[in-house]
Amino acid sequence: MKLKPLFIAATSLLLATQASAHNRWLLPSHFNLSNDKGEWIMVDVTASNETFFVDKPMGAERMVITGPDGKRVRAGSLYKGHRKSVVDLQLTQSGTYQLQLAGTPSYFTRYEVKGEEKPKFMRNVNKQQRDARLPKDAINVETLEGYSNVLSFVTLNSPSVSFPLSKQGLELIPVTHPSDIAQGEPVEFKFAFNGEVKAGVNVEIIREGVRYRNDPEALELTSDKNGAIKFTPKQAGRYLLMADYQQDVSDYALADKVGGRVFLTFEAVLD
Amino acid sequence: MKKSLVFVSLLSLSGLSLSGFSSQALATELKLELNLPQQTGEYHNPYVAIWLEDSSGKSIRTLALWREGAKWLKDIRRWWRKVGRKDAELVDAITSATHAAGRYQLSFDAVDDNQQPLAAGDYILRIEVVRENGGRSMVKQPFTLTGKSQRFTLAATPETAQSTFIIKE
Repeated sequence: MKLKPLFIAATSLLLATQASAHNRWLLPSHFNLSNDKGEWIMVDVTASNETFFVDKPMGAERMVITGPDGKRVRAGSLYKGHRKSVVDLQLTQSGTYQLQLAGTPSYFTRYEVKGEEKPKFMRNVNKQQRDARLPKDAINVETLEGYSNVLSFVTLNSPSVSFPLSKQGLELIPVTHPSDIAQGEPVEFKFAFNGEVKAGVNVEIIREGVRYRNDPEALELTSDKNGAIKFTPKQAGRYLLMADYQQDVSDYALADKVGGRVFLTFEAVLD
Repeated sequence: MKKSLVFVSLLSLSGLSLSGFSSQALATELKLELNLPQQTGEYHNPYVAIWLEDSSGKSIRTLALWREGAKWLKDIRRWWRKVGRKDAELVDAITSATHAAGRYQLSFDAVDDNQQPLAAGDYILRIEVVRENGGRSMVKQPFTLTGKSQRFTLAATPETAQSTFIIKE
């Protein structure tokens, strides 16, 4: 795809602003468990740019837990502190549970004012609402509709395949089962936007413990024409995968661009 | 898995030689002298899984599983991921209690999980040893079944002392 230079500049600006929003993640206390009598786990929920160090609490009460049978599972008790929310969760069925914070899109309007160096932003303002809110001298106005999809998978005993997809926003389609990721073994995931696999999804994968090393050792990938990325975790540990995708839309009442982000927490087990 | 097979597996995994029980004379025997060293500090008996993989890394036979409650099976990382969690019946069939530090003589027929004799070819013996509040070691010994007897010395690891693996044809 060929793009006009002006368009590239605008896109990269918007991407940069999206990237400045906090990362979000769920961190289960356990990813893989063995017990024929069921197990309890706890899940940390936070918005934090530091991988697996908590920062700001997020509404864990919105977390949707899907059991191996595809049915929703009710969480146990929930605590919301200043740095994170914590959810208690009992796993009673063998198989894979999906933990997810997703839902309705948010709107983000960016504009510039002549004579001012930096662009300005309005949160929760869509294309229909923006005219009433924008200053008269606003230029280069652009509204993004963004979906966020924060998720993780936890397996009790044998892994099962129940990965509910909403076909809304950016979604990760596991090719490699998320509970089957191991040090030194290849992993493949696919990405779909509104139910269609997409090339050009930007992905960053980071291993825990950045605080204790100088190089973040982030792995940067872009999805191919099948929407796929492939990588091999060199080390065992907990990882955060962050994916970002945006595309222009015409004739859409609420936004000029639509996009989505995925935050997947997974574990690469020791081989 | 059929009940009779489960019975045979249980016997083989309790560390007894199968030779007296086999209905037919199987050509090849696998003998392992496993040496679990004394450790300093707090000591819990190790969890041990001993199994065979083919050259592609697929498990073809779990030889022994020394374990405690199911909650701890996941800590035998590779064996749990590759074998245990996918086959609850197999886990039930081969389970045995943990053992303290010591020298163990184990003997197995060279058959797969379905009791079929192993064909000539390349295999990997794996021994995963994990201690609660201790370390983990993975012993990996590739071997080729050729119809001739062989002997391998398994170098010491933090969780295993020098051990011996013998293929007796």
